[in-house]
Amino acid sequence: MKHWMFNCKKVTYLVSESLDRKLALHQRMGMRIHLVMCKFCSRYKEQLLFLRKTARLYSESSEDSDRSIQMPSEVGKRIKESMVRFLEKHE
Amino acid sequence: MNTQQSISKHSNENPEKWVDLYGDYLYRYALYRVYETTVAEDLVQETFLAALGSIKNFQYRSSIKTWLTGILKHKIIDHFRKKTKEQPMDDVKPHIDKLNDLFTKNGQWKIKPANWNADPQKLYGHKEFMKVLHKCLAELPSRQASAFTLREIVGENTKEICKILDVSATNIWVLLHRARMFLRRCLEINWFTNSNDRKST
Repeated sequence: MKHWMFNCKKVTYLVSESLDRKLALHQRMGMRIHLVMCKFCSRYKEQLLFLRKTARLYSESSEDSDRSIQMPSEVGKRIKESMVRFLEKHE
Repeated sequence: MNTQQSISKHSNENPEKWVDLYGDYLYRYALYRVYETTVAEDLVQETFLAALGSIKNFQYRSSIKTWLTGILKHKIIDHFRKKTKEQPMDDVKPHIDKLNDLFTKNGQWKIKPANWNADPQKLYGHKEFMKVLHKCLAELPSRQASAFTLREIVGENTKEICKILDVSATNIWVLLHRARMFLRRCLEINWFTNSNDRKST
């Protein structure tokens, strides 16, 4: 690996940053050249994107569909009681 | 719209009913973002009380569920803000060491990323995956975990996250980078390796 090229450690940092903002031109170029040549760094990039997609999709879809998690009934009771107290105080 | 309005009116007369109608949904919403059951319970309670307090501001433009979810989202972000204030700057050292182990002195991979062979559709349905992700997040210093959660699960932009976590613009890239690097590795060890084992047996 030539000394002027970005190494894997540097590229992983840039890959992460590129998920959230546009990199400077020289960073973008350096990262792209490296990714073309390095199987592991491009795998790293794919896996970060996968992680992002999975975390979002899962948390967005599960509130409606995942019935296996329910609020404990005593907590619901506690909340209702606190609401009644709140209304008594404020009305 | 008519149905929504009548639901709203009905619920206005009897706000405790909200708990039956939306409690489980809000609880799940909170739990997927803050991970701790007691915190989620408190946030849901605060949400209902805040909703009662501002019921006059409720406009029929949105459904009660959307309105409550909006309040809860604010409460969740407040939770991360408070959590950050309560804790001093994280000691990131042990994690830096761990991350440095992944690379050689020349900055090349020492422990190379494995081929996950993951089928996203299968994975999305897997509650276990989220459990493992939560477990891995719990091992991170709290600012890194909060940064990742706010970015990838709550969906905040990095500018807002800087304000919430009280970190500089440069710091946020470092926090997210370290969190992602660690989580990727942690999932590889705890999820992908194990699920491959399951497949082959």
